[in-house]
Amino acid sequence: MLELSSSPASSLLFSLLSAKKAHGSSTFAALRCPNGSVFSITFSQARDRGRTSLPTIREAFLQMCNLPVRVVCRANAEYMSPSGKVPFIHVGNQVVSELGPIVQFVKAKGHSLSDGLDEVQKAEMKAYMELVNNMLLTAELYLQWCDDVTVEEITHPRYGSPYPWPLNRILSYQKQWEIRRKMKAIGWAGKSLEQVLEDVDQCCQALSQRLGTQPYFFNKQPTELDALVFGHLFTILTTQLITDELSEKVKNYGNLTAFCRRIEQQYFEGHDKDSSATASARCAKRDQCCQLNWKMELNSCSLLSDLGFTMELN
Amino acid sequence: FRNAGARGAYAKFAGAPLIVNTINNSWSSPKADVPVLISEDIVISQPAKILNFLRKQRYNADYELSAKQGADTLAYIALLEEKLLPALLHTFWVEAENYCSVTKPWFASRIPFPLSLYLPGKMSREALNRILLTRGGPPLYSLTEVEAQIYRDAKECLNLLSKRLGTSQFFFGNTPTTLDAFVFGFLAPVYKVCFPRVQLQEHLKELTNLCRFCDDILTCYFKLTVTGKFYFSSTFSHV
Repeated sequence: MLELSSSPASSLLFSLLSAKKAHGSSTFAALRCPNGSVFSITFSQARDRGRTSLPTIREAFLQMCNLPVRVVCRANAEYMSPSGKVPFIHVGNQVVSELGPIVQFVKAKGHSLSDGLDEVQKAEMKAYMELVNNMLLTAELYLQWCDDVTVEEITHPRYGSPYPWPLNRILSYQKQWEIRRKMKAIGWAGKSLEQVLEDVDQCCQALSQRLGTQPYFFNKQPTELDALVFGHLFTILTTQLITDELSEKVKNYGNLTAFCRRIEQQYFEGHDKDSSATASARCAKRDQCCQLNWKMELNSCSLLSDLGFTMELN
Repeated sequence: FRNAGARGAYAKFAGAPLIVNTINNSWSSPKADVPVLISEDIVISQPAKILNFLRKQRYNADYELSAKQGADTLAYIALLEEKLLPALLHTFWVEAENYCSVTKPWFASRIPFPLSLYLPGKMSREALNRILLTRGGPPLYSLTEVEAQIYRDAKECLNLLSKRLGTSQFFFGNTPTTLDAFVFGFLAPVYKVCFPRVQLQEHLKELTNLCRFCDDILTCYFKLTVTGKFYFSSTFSHV
């Protein structure tokens, strides 16, 4: 489901998906290892209600590592995940969820975005990632599950959409109760919407000040922090809610919107191509793949990157 | 974890004339949420708001920080709250030996009679609740696994702080700032309080630059009290 769940990336789908995906169909994202096993990212499946779909933090991260990804949507994704959080990645017979473990996993396979950083910079990167999780993620959850208007009009219908009545209402109330309990434990339950928006503003201000005029947060290369920030900000900017207050807060900072645009162009739109590629063309491209030879497939739309991965939506 | 130690330290750094009253009646604060800053007729009770208030009154310890350093401050505070705080809560309020022999008697002795029977238990339950809700999901299914994970995270956080501090006196040069106050507020209790179960304290003592940091602040800014007791009192008065 396209929800800003406890893992915000679960609400972000690739921009092409919304255009191509039929209601209730499942879409796949998989990485195919050289030995043929498939590495897939699974999202919860939900009917698209005219929301724009968004790239994932995970996809952004994996794309930045030049690893092809196949996106899958499933209604029971939360149950498939080892930690109950979506999205998660599936490589061969291993399943890894949440950004931290995925980064570790990919690092163990020999890909890392933060190798060039020294110790102090790594500490800083981790601190900023916690800031984003602490403020932006919690604010997104608050808005989705604790703001009554949004809950009624957007979240309940969306969360419950793959299920028949009364299951849809039961599950969404259960999720709401769970999130509200957590908010109460960390002290956010007593906050008003204005206070939450102020916190988001403070966080964006910090990110904007840290980014300054650089292209990425550290040096000229993207790191996990860039993927994380991009995922969150892109969701906020492109998700249609009842009001635009949240996205307005982000839009106040020109360098952040430029940052999102830049990453989107470089790692997502730049790989757009028509859907007319044939299987043989895909095979030929596969041969040209980088030595890891992983593929990304989206529904009838092939995306070929210079580094050799393709996307088709089944 | 409304850390009064951080607030006290910040006020000292900024030179604000602050009188710290040991809270002896939690009823008086609006939601049993201490500490509370009372200036003239205004009552403020949350850490960020208290810091903002002090800043507006022009007691600002961050005056000379650049924008980027200000942003770094927020980021590190978030790191402390996410990674270090659960382990602190656990050490003080959940770990049975620590709680029964140190925290509860001390806390109960500072608050009036009927409340002393009820409030420590409540705070202990809330601490456990918070830890389980924020960190306790699958694949960690038992409390021991959660505990192991939060202590791992806390030790990693301490290592990161140590790397960031390096050999300088404070986090941003030679004058203390908000970040120093927060870090001090979190570290001082771990450093000074004598608990039966002390794994975090042992780890902290290996990071000599952080110990030196705490000692420096204690000797320079808190001359009135010479033992850890002051921090004991100010740090325990939190929700």
